[in-house]
Formats: sequence, C-alpha cells, structure tokens
Amino acid sequence: MGKIFDFQFMIEIIPSILKGIPFTIMIAVVGFAVGIVIGLFGALFKIYKVPVLNKLTGLYVSFVRGTPLVVQILLIYYAFPILIKLINFKFGTKIDISWIPAVVFMFIAYSLNAGAYLTESIRASILAVDKGQMEAAESVGMTMWQAMIRIVLPQAAKISLPVFANFFIGLLKDTSLAFTAAVPEIMGQAKIQAGRASRFFEAYIDAALIYWGLCIILERIVAFIEKRNKESA
Amino acid sequence: MSNVMIEMNNIHKKFGNNHVLKGVDLTVNEGETVALLGSSGSGKSTLLRCINLLETPDAGDVRINDYSFTASKINKHVKLEARRRTAMVFQNFGLFANKTALENVTEALITVRKKSKSEAIEIGRKYLDKVGLLEQANQYPSTLSGGQKQRVAISRALALDPKIILFDEPTSALDPELVGEVQRVIRKVAEEKVTMLIVTHEMDFARDVADKVAFMSEGQIIETATPSEFFTNPKNERTQKFLERYLQRFSYSI
Ligand SMILES: Nc1ncnc2c1ncn2[C@@H]1O[C@H](COP(=O)(O)OP(=O)(O)OP(=O)(O)O)[C@@H](O)[C@H]1O
Ligand SMILES: [Mg+2]
Repeated sequence: MGKIFDFQFMIEIIPSILKGIPFTIMIAVVGFAVGIVIGLFGALFKIYKVPVLNKLTGLYVSFVRGTPLVVQILLIYYAFPILIKLINFKFGTKIDISWIPAVVFMFIAYSLNAGAYLTESIRASILAVDKGQMEAAESVGMTMWQAMIRIVLPQAAKISLPVFANFFIGLLKDTSLAFTAAVPEIMGQAKIQAGRASRFFEAYIDAALIYWGLCIILERIVAFIEKRNKESA
Repeated sequence: MSNVMIEMNNIHKKFGNNHVLKGVDLTVNEGETVALLGSSGSGKSTLLRCINLLETPDAGDVRINDYSFTASKINKHVKLEARRRTAMVFQNFGLFANKTALENVTEALITVRKKSKSEAIEIGRKYLDKVGLLEQANQYPSTLSGGQKQRVAISRALALDPKIILFDEPTSALDPELVGEVQRVIRKVAEEKVTMLIVTHEMDFARDVADKVAFMSEGQIIETATPSEFFTNPKNERTQKFLERYLQRFSYSI
C-alpha cells in the first residue's frame, strides 16, 4: 500500500464500472417513461378536479416531495418482501421474493418518484397552453379528449421539453442511489471495485467521470432536439 | 319560405350575481347575415357562446336548424350536437398553434366529421384557396400575419359547412391595415349566402355586410331592423344614444 493515488488501478477498473451503465440507463428510462404516464394522469386528475383521485394525487405528490428519495427506495425495497409474504399467506401462492431482481423494485421506486414530480410539471405546462386552444377545439366539435390529445398536449409537451430534459438528467444522476438496494448500476459497480482494493477515491473518480460524460452526451442530444423543434414552428 | 337556422327564446345567463343575459330572443334565417351590435359588456360574446355552448345558458330554449335543446337539459352530448352544427371565428383567431394552416382546416374534418385524410385535404385546399391562402397551406400560424390567421380561421369554419358561423369581433385584434382583407373575405362569404351572426364594433362594416342588425343593451336585444332602418331611423332611445356616440367618435376621427 505504497501509493497515495493509484492511477493504474483507476484506469483498470473502468471497464467493470462501465458495466453499470445499462442498469443506470434502464432505471432512468423506465422511471421517466412510467413517470410521464403517472404524471399525465395525475395532472389531469388535478386540473379537472376528479373527485377522490384529485385528493389522492395531492397526497401522493406531497408524500413523495416531502420525503428523501433514499427513504423511498428503502421503503419499496423492504415493503415488497412483506407484501409478497402477505400475498402468499392470503392466497396460498408460493411466490419467492428472490425470483424478482432488485432492479424491478428500483423501477417501481423511481417511477413513483418521477411520477410525483412530473405530475406538477405536466400540470403547469398544460395550464400554460392558451385557454383559447381548448375552446377552439371544442368549437369545431372535438370532444374534450380529442382536444386534449391532439391540440393541448402536443403544445404542453413542447413547453415542457426543457423541463423534461433537465428532469431526465437529474433522474439519471439520482439513479446512483439505487446501489443502496444492491443494484449493480454505475455506483454499485464502483463500490464493488473499490471494496476489492480498498481504493474508494479512485473508483469514485471513475464514477464521477462516467456520470459527467453521460450528462454531457444527454445535454448535446437535448440541445439538438430543441433546435429542431424551434425550426419546426 | 325561409329556413330558420337559429332561434333563441328567452335566454338567461348569470355569472355569479352578474345577470348578463336577461331573456334574449333572436332568430337568424338561412342565408342571412346578422350583425349583433351593442356597447361593451352588454353580453354579445356571452350570447354567441351560449349558441355553441362554450357557455351554458341558465334558462331558455335554443334551436339550431334541425336541433333543439333546453337550457336545463344541456349535457356533453347536447354540447357536441350544438358544436357540430356551428363554427366560430374568434377575436384572437383560435388557430391550433401546433398545426399548419391546412391542418387547421382538415383537423375537425378528420376527427369530427370522419372524412378520409385525402378527402379532408381536398376540402381544406379548396377553402384555403377561397380565402386566398393556398400558398400558405403548410405554414404554421406563428408565421402568418393577423389577417392571414383570421382568413385561415374563416376557411376552417367554412370547411365544416355549418348551419351558421358565429363571428366574435373578427377584426378587433388586427392592425388597422389588415382589417380590410378580412372584411373583404367575410363580405364574399355573405354574398354566397352562408348564414352568419357577426358581433362587431365596426358600424360601416355592419351596415355594409348585414341583412339584419340586432342591437343589444343590458342583456337584451332591444331592436332588430334592416341596416338602413337601423342606422337612419333607430326606434329605441338607447339605440339612438349608442349611434349618436358612435357618430360623434366618427366625426372626431375625420
Ligand atoms: N367567464 C366569465 N365569468 C364571469 N363573468 C363574465 C364571463 N364572461 C363574461 N362575463 C361578464 O359578462 C358581461 C358581458 O360580457 P360579454 O363579454 O358578453 O360582453 P360583450 O358585449 O361581448 O363586450 P365586448 O364588446 O367588450 O366584447 C361582462 O360584465 C363580463 O364581465
Ligand atoms: Mg365580446
């Protein structure tokens, strides 16, 4: 243990840490995609003040925004085994919790987390669409759903694009908490490699650089999409 | 014998304690252009919006050609039926910002009238041509001038082949130099005997385009007459005051 900083080690473990990228991206993409669906319904429940669902959505958003993500992850991680035991007990099924990979729990945790934040931002962008657009659509005989799907939501999506992009980048970074549930994403891999040689600093530098690289690529993609979007209208 | 396109009986509408429509009666016959005049806040927009049910009247009966409904029995279905028989041209154009000029015209033909895409495009192009905007067919509203936007809105309304087109101050949001082109299009449409109800503050235009003028004051239509009668020989005292005020403003502007 002579060296203060083992540069060679830092390089050597990069390929192993890179193996975490698919998990990182999968969690972010699934969380984002499901989050948008949840957020869309949440936003519509709130805008149209749908009885009961409106209140439930409020409670859900408040809870998710008022508790740390790590806590949510651990809650889901420990709640599911209990839930499955309960199901087995009630229905006499024999589901084995170990059949379900930890990453599935993370899909659920991140989707629920993203859904709450996206409920708020989708609601805001739907409300930012000129009210006259809905009226114009209704005046030509479209149903509220047709007007929503064909006229209002596309415009809301365009308004949301920068917010969504930033949210996705944030989400990608937040996936680094999934290692707390033993998911071998970038941080999980870094921890494993670091533990082997007790060289944490080197491994975390790798992790930092990989996240940074991913975010730079994403920002490029977002800038490209935004530019194309501006040109189209 | 002419066909009745709109018949409204004793329409009432309140916003909270503000009793805006206090028993409006109005008839518009097929092929007629009716100008609806009245001072600001008298309830003209509200009346139009009670026809296509963007506002729900509190009481009264409405008939749109073959379709009748009573205020107390309005539901989703009634709203759709009313809207499928009417079209509206808004002061602020109301063009779909995410659709091109042509798509603005074809959208409801496809989604509401269930026409095939190719048929809708054929109809759309015909009506854009009619308002002189075929060349702008693929432009988005944000790239059109106010006058062009309103002409697209008019062609969207025409393409639906409604029983009546409702205009709410179609030229009020336009720069003065663009008012003429839109008025010309409306005049041309009037000549083709499309049934129209037009709210406007442009007296010369009303006089020129309308077959009938209806004057609204304090939530009621208090005078209905031909334009020449209305402007030269108004019967009601409030109508006279309104026209006097208008003539004064007019003489100042010369
Ligand atoms: N959605 C609404 N909620 C509450 N009050 C309303 C609403 N729409 C209209 N009003 C009120 O109803 C009255 C009539 O309004 P309306 O827009 O029908 O008048 P108008 O004759 O069209 O006036 P203008 O010439 O200024 O357009 C006004 O006092 C207005 O404040
Ligand atoms: Mg008005």
